[in-house]
Amino acid sequence: MNERQKLHAEMSRAFRGPATGPAAATVLTRRIFLHKSLLLGAAGVATYGFFPFLNVLDVAFAANAQTFRFAWISDTHLYPKDVNTRFVDKTVRAIDEVKAMSPAPDFLIFGGDLAQLGDPVELKLGAELLKELKIKQVFIPGEHDWYLDMGKTWNTMFGQSPWSFDHKGVRFVGLDTVSRAEDFWTPRKMTAKERMGHMATLDGTLGGSWAAVGKEQLKWLEDALAGWPKDKPVVVFSHNPLYEYYPPWNFWVRDWREVHEVLAPYGNVTNIHGHTHQVLYNEIGRLRSIGMLATSWPWPYAPEGVPGLTRPMVRADPGDHFDGVGWSALALNDAGRVDNDYRMWRKDVFATAPADLGTGDNRNQVLSPRIADRI
Amino acid sequence: MKRFTPADLAMATGVTVLFIAALGIEQAFAHKAPHTNEQLAAFEQVFMEEVRTGDLLFHGDPATEKKLGVKLSSTGMACAMCHPYTSDTHPQEFPKFQEQMNEFATLRDMINWCIEKPNEGEKIDPNGKAMKALEAYITWSNRNSTLDPGRH
Repeated sequence: MNERQKLHAEMSRAFRGPATGPAAATVLTRRIFLHKSLLLGAAGVATYGFFPFLNVLDVAFAANAQTFRFAWISDTHLYPKDVNTRFVDKTVRAIDEVKAMSPAPDFLIFGGDLAQLGDPVELKLGAELLKELKIKQVFIPGEHDWYLDMGKTWNTMFGQSPWSFDHKGVRFVGLDTVSRAEDFWTPRKMTAKERMGHMATLDGTLGGSWAAVGKEQLKWLEDALAGWPKDKPVVVFSHNPLYEYYPPWNFWVRDWREVHEVLAPYGNVTNIHGHTHQVLYNEIGRLRSIGMLATSWPWPYAPEGVPGLTRPMVRADPGDHFDGVGWSALALNDAGRVDNDYRMWRKDVFATAPADLGTGDNRNQVLSPRIADRI
Repeated sequence: MKRFTPADLAMATGVTVLFIAALGIEQAFAHKAPHTNEQLAAFEQVFMEEVRTGDLLFHGDPATEKKLGVKLSSTGMACAMCHPYTSDTHPQEFPKFQEQMNEFATLRDMINWCIEKPNEGEKIDPNGKAMKALEAYITWSNRNSTLDPGRH
């Protein structure tokens, strides 16, 4: 067992107590079932709606929430139009498809990384495209939106985070998990553009473990949930996943333990996150996390740490820039549960054969951190 | 696409010779005597310099592209945007039949396919400095993976 596996085991021990979520035996059974179904190709034919499939054994929570839908778009990574229009085309496609939803979703959550390099031109382009949607829109920032001017343009155009609102029996929370990088730029006398460049590089060295919720926001979260019935649904939106998946690419928040402590008393919490650009699912204690697709490009699964409960998505075709990407239509069902419907722009979302698993290759893939940016 | 002229190559060779001379290697090209620690360190330095150059190219560094006269992308996409830490480049699996090209391919063939197709850049000299640097970086990053040629 390596260090990361030890951490994951510790995470399970700490947050999966005897009365906090699916019993260990149930989880194990499902893992075996999923694994077999992938190997045999059975049940892998399901394209969308993997949630009912994954959670069929879970206990339903109090049925006092109303059914409704909302949409998630994130990680559009827009460049100015003169650099590239492919990301614009894909953003427009996602927006058009949200517009076409019938009945219309109650709101859109934009999950961060609207821009590629935080340029006001990019952010304005995004705002202009999103204007086409007449439904309510809420926003959380990504690191690409932030580090050119430390969130000034973002906050002015899209509002500050965190925030919360109640909708049809669900408390929705939006967090800022991107603004707490340690200052690597001042000692190195970097320009704002140089700082942004380093932060915009997923496998960059200098940004370090920048993803965090932070003490003040943790206190805010505690207060925002205080008084909310413990069994009623809570949905937490964040750019980064609220658990440890792969720290070198900030596929986590560094203070995930504290976040889980704050959320632990609540029985029905769903974290919906961007940043990872891939199909992801995890459960820790009673907290479930769902990773959303990007519209821009898919990230490969990290070389280690992919949650065992994730059914990996298919390998994307690198020759088709509409492949492996998309958006999500989500619904709160009458059990107060979040159903996620990946709208990937291809027929089959999930890999059905080991040879087509993105994660299957990780068994023989030992990678090294980069060296050229250690300045 | 910019191609290296004989003058460029002569200059590059000259620079390399000077570089090696500066490191005090007397038998850099000979195998008649046992390698000294200084020689081995110098060889590694030459290799790591290529890795460093490849790392910069792979991450879309405009200054390195300009210096080497290559244009690896016209879309704002860099190699590392789909391949952080060079993941899913799988140099250990080449040569192999490559589906996208419908032919038996080397890593260099695949690098050029990625430059030309998804990145819409300009194909680079398969034996040129930029290609060697990219190959050095990708294989260095995957050096602990197990060789498994032909696997898809």
